[in-house]
Amino acid sequence: MVTESASEFETQDLLLNVGPQHPSTHGVFRMVMQVDGEVVREVIPYIGYLHRGAEKLCETMDYRQGIGFMDRTEYLAAMNAELSYVMAVETLAELEVPERAQWIRMILVELNRLASHLMFMGAFGVDVGVFGTPFIYAWREREAVIDLFEEISGDRMMYAYLRPGGLAWDVPTNFVPRVREVLTAVRQGIADFDGLLTKNEIFIARTKGVGVISAADAIDFGMSGPSIRASGVPLDVRREEPYLKYNDINWNVITRTEGDVYARYLCRLDEMRESVKIVEQCLERLQPGAIMPEKMPRMLRTPPGEIYVRTEAPRGEFGVYLVSKGGNRPHRLKVRSACLSNLQALRHMTIGSYVADALIVLGSIDIVLSEVDR
Amino acid sequence: MTSEETTESAAPVATLDGTIWAEVDRALAGITATAERGLLDVIVHVPPAEIIRALKALKADATLNFDYLRSLTAVDNEEDGIDVVYHLYSTTAKHNLTVKATLANDNLFIDTATTVWRAANWLERETAEMFGVRFNGHPDPRTLLMPEDMDDTFPLRKDHPLAEIEVLQGEGMGYSEEDQ
Repeated sequence: MVTESASEFETQDLLLNVGPQHPSTHGVFRMVMQVDGEVVREVIPYIGYLHRGAEKLCETMDYRQGIGFMDRTEYLAAMNAELSYVMAVETLAELEVPERAQWIRMILVELNRLASHLMFMGAFGVDVGVFGTPFIYAWREREAVIDLFEEISGDRMMYAYLRPGGLAWDVPTNFVPRVREVLTAVRQGIADFDGLLTKNEIFIARTKGVGVISAADAIDFGMSGPSIRASGVPLDVRREEPYLKYNDINWNVITRTEGDVYARYLCRLDEMRESVKIVEQCLERLQPGAIMPEKMPRMLRTPPGEIYVRTEAPRGEFGVYLVSKGGNRPHRLKVRSACLSNLQALRHMTIGSYVADALIVLGSIDIVLSEVDR
Repeated sequence: MTSEETTESAAPVATLDGTIWAEVDRALAGITATAERGLLDVIVHVPPAEIIRALKALKADATLNFDYLRSLTAVDNEEDGIDVVYHLYSTTAKHNLTVKATLANDNLFIDTATTVWRAANWLERETAEMFGVRFNGHPDPRTLLMPEDMDDTFPLRKDHPLAEIEVLQGEGMGYSEEDQ
């Protein structure tokens, strides 16, 4: 580090603009870094390039139409985003979701978590400089999950498969063996990543001790998901306020105590193993049955009221705050973005680190800009 | 809570048995707060002038310990003003609380919660640009998602005009009365 007194040369801080069009920013995210040589002195993030007014649009459309906007808000974990939304509508409209629909939902959101974490592994590998191999490996296994989703919903990313009350239609008859196939592929993928990155000397050198955030700071910034669990806070909505059937099966909340980039990576890796465990147990409990409540109104209306529903999405707490004044559309719909709150802590985590590390820290909180900007 | 108010709001308070309202009421001593039971969480209404005192008290209280700000947003109720809504959580005691402050349309000022949680920073910037709520003492009152020069119109207010296409979409999906 060059300080004024230590240097005989006059130094001047440089303003370095990163993004909005830059591969390392995972979307249209811009930050202006004030750098002193290689050291970051200040970070000013700029977001909003992808703001589409999804919340406002949901207010102009009926409840069923809002599902599509949730997909586009969190496009890497669309099932999880849909889940928060339909659960909010269901609670307001007092719909009872059939058992089978709940188990299928749980399988789908956990598979989506796997797909999303695989995406992280690949993209993060590239951030760290392990170019190519992990990215392709991640794509191979993610493809298996996405193919399955396509068979079920007809779409690879924008599923619109969950409905207030249940599911759009039942899963194909070969659903259970197909999920088992996908799980076998993903389990192999997790093992590959473990072998490829976890003990990789270069990977460890780049990530260990980088971008540390303490538990107290992470809570204060409202971080969630693997990003806060890596700092030793066992905050997981699935465990704290169980929804679906998370109470009925055995699984663990993964936490690490280091709070650095490496811990956030390990958290996600171990969480994938837990997700596989959850899906396996769900498959055993899955029984034939109805997927929608018997009496569904032709036009879904909700009584006046409000609810804040939160679920654990791959990136953290995906909350939907729904205010109804009666009728068939929301009066106000607010999406609580996990990425927005996680990204807010970026400045805190990067100041004082090297420029190259700042990009790794950004990669480690795994942002989806579409969810940040809504 | 004063004695007259207790009698006034006796009905909703009675349904709050088994919730954390008793502790919240104790922590908010000296603040005129009323509560109602929401579908998941207790909703507490606090006068805007006392919001920061209330939030600080809720965070500092040893049993409540609301150390986590889940979400901060606003709801435009048109002639009834704008509600600023805080969703709180305690990472140690594992309970939730919704706090609301209703602002009159001619006085959209409220103190910043960034002094309580740093998480409020961006959330308040977003609420400010979307609803025109002004957060007194905010350390960084720039726009967050909107362009810098867009400071005279507030997109999430109900009176903000929709684009033509959005109006068309809204009409296109309008069902006839019999269908509804």
